Amino acid sequence: MQIRVQFWSYFKELTGCAQATEELVEKATIADLLQRLHARFPKLVSMQNSTLIAVGVEYQGRDYVLKAGDEVSLFPPVQGG
Amino acid sequence: MHRSLTISAAPIDEADLVAARASSTTMGAAVYFSGIVRGSEDAQPISALEYECFRPMAEHQFHRLFDELECRWPIASVRLVHRIGVVKAGEASLWVEIVAPHRGEAFAACQWLIDEMKRVVPIWKKTLPGQPVPRH
Repeated sequence: MQIRVQFWSYFKELTGCAQATEELVEKATIADLLQRLHARFPKLVSMQNSTLIAVGVEYQGRDYVLKAGDEVSLFPPVQGG
Repeated sequence: MHRSLTISAAPIDEADLVAARASSTTMGAAVYFSGIVRGSEDAQPISALEYECFRPMAEHQFHRLFDELECRWPIASVRLVHRIGVVKAGEASLWVEIVAPHRGEAFAACQWLIDEMKRVVPIWKKTLPGQPVPRH
C-alpha cells in the first residue's frame, strides 16, 4: 500500500522536501514507516526522540497500524504562541 | 459555551476584539492574554517571527482543547486568535479571551489553554534575523 507523508517546519529542510511517498506492506506500522524514512532521510534520525506523528489530524503512536490512503505528518515539537 | 477561533495572517486588532465581547450579568470575569513577539531570541536581535501552521490539524486540536475547557470550567465564552506568516517584533501573535462567572476559573482556563496549545497545536515559528523596528 502507498502512504503519503508530509513534513512540517524544519523537517522540510532536513529532508529537502515537503512530502514523500512510501510503499509499505499491509498492516505496516508507523514504526515500520519511520524505519524506511530514516534510511531515506538520515538527517531525521537525530530527531527521532522528539518527532511528533499524526495520521490525518490526530496524533498517533509508533504502534499505529497504517491503512491505505492514510496521510501521515511528521514534525518537530510545536511552538505556537 | 460560545467559541471563536481565528487563524490568520491579518494583524490582531485588540480594540476591535474587546469591543466585540459578548457578556451577560451572570459573567463576572473577562480575562484576556496578548502574546507579543519579542525583539530578541537567545540574546540575538530579531526583526520578526514567521509562523507556519498545519491548519486542518491545528483547527481540530484547538476545538478539542475548547471541548475539554468546557468540561473543566463553567466558561461562557472562549475566543482565540493566532497569527500565521510573518509577525514583526512588537506585534501580537496570539490573543486569547475567557469569559466566566468568576476570576479564578477565567485565569485558570486561560493559562491552561495557552499551555496546552503550546503542547499539541501544530504551529511552528522561526526567527527572522535583523534589528526590530521601533514602534511608537
